[in-house]
Amino acid sequence: MKTNNTEGCALCDATWGEYYREIEGEKTFFCCNICADIFENMVKTVKKETGWNKIDYLELNGNYSKGRICMAKSGDKEFKYYYRTYGDGRLMEFKKL
Amino acid sequence: MAICPICNIKFDNNDFTSLSEHFIDKANSSEPLHVMWLNRNITKTKVDKSKLGLAFKNFYDLNTAGLKLWIINRFIKDYRGENPHPFIIKMQEYNPYIMEGYAVEHYFFLKQWVRSCSAIISKTDYADIQNYEMENMITEYFGKNKKAHIELLLEMAEGYGIDRNKIMKTTPLKNTENAIKRWREIAEKNQWIEIMAAMHSLELIANRALRPYGARYDYFNYDAFDSRNVPDGVRAFLMEGYRSDEAHSMAALELIEKYSKNYNVQDIQDTYLASTYVFYNYLEARIERGEMIENKQY
Repeated sequence: MKTNNTEGCALCDATWGEYYREIEGEKTFFCCNICADIFENMVKTVKKETGWNKIDYLELNGNYSKGRICMAKSGDKEFKYYYRTYGDGRLMEFKKL
Repeated sequence: MAICPICNIKFDNNDFTSLSEHFIDKANSSEPLHVMWLNRNITKTKVDKSKLGLAFKNFYDLNTAGLKLWIINRFIKDYRGENPHPFIIKMQEYNPYIMEGYAVEHYFFLKQWVRSCSAIISKTDYADIQNYEMENMITEYFGKNKKAHIELLLEMAEGYGIDRNKIMKTTPLKNTENAIKRWREIAEKNQWIEIMAAMHSLELIANRALRPYGARYDYFNYDAFDSRNVPDGVRAFLMEGYRSDEAHSMAALELIEKYSKNYNVQDIQDTYLASTYVFYNYLEARIERGEMIENKQY
């Protein structure tokens, strides 16, 4: 699964850190385990909400404070949502857009 | 002295190379709190220790503007600038659960507040500092011909049906507890001017006069709260805090700046950073408590 963050961490694009986790069968780079937790939970939430078996692409726009306006793609289907977490990675707000 | 705001490890004054090495070591092991701090405060791009050392030097540099402006600029960036704190975003509309969460967690903040103010008084002989802190405590705890800030807070909670005795018996959320622990340590171990910077800078959160300094958000959306749908107790609490924090935070920063030349400025900056680090999480606790109340978990 690809995201629009191409330089570094799949969630925030930071290039610090050296943390990997398997997401949707792919070894994915994160700057820290909290970003990995957020990303992993986000993928689960989107799959549960949409009923999709897999996500091909995630576009994430925003940051830790404003939250992120996102678009998930699976084949030709799209799902837009807003996602914000607490500093420790727990979900604060998720809503369909 | 340069101090890591996360784990409180101390380095020599201006030893930004060692501070950088510490952060790089932590980042290389993906320690999340250090990585997040770097991402939010310095840079998201991995750099070597000499470049990071230079970035830290620039971060601490007062740029001839003085300590007061350094604190204001940093505070706005973290809370009320382009990327505001989530609590500030929440306060742009009226949400009763957020206000209830605010009431519960802020009670514990105010209990620590008076300990910090009295620690300042106990550690200085400067009359203007002692008078300032006494006046502040009177406003918070007794009021001056009007209700005290803490009383307005508890009445706001009671307006929502939350008994004040229940609040007093509540265990604060983890982020609030950790913040209080840090503020208590600062009050016990640091110099009066550092405690003052740690605590009174936080009052900038509600300061109405920050727009000229670059703030993009007010503490709350006045129009959203100036409505018949908003209980009187909420308006009474917010307006009092709004007025007093405006006066308190700027006057305190001016006093800090006045005396700072007699002290190690970097130690004052470090104490501010240590305090604001936990304050960020404490404000999240207000949201979290509000969510618990909304979900009938309180």
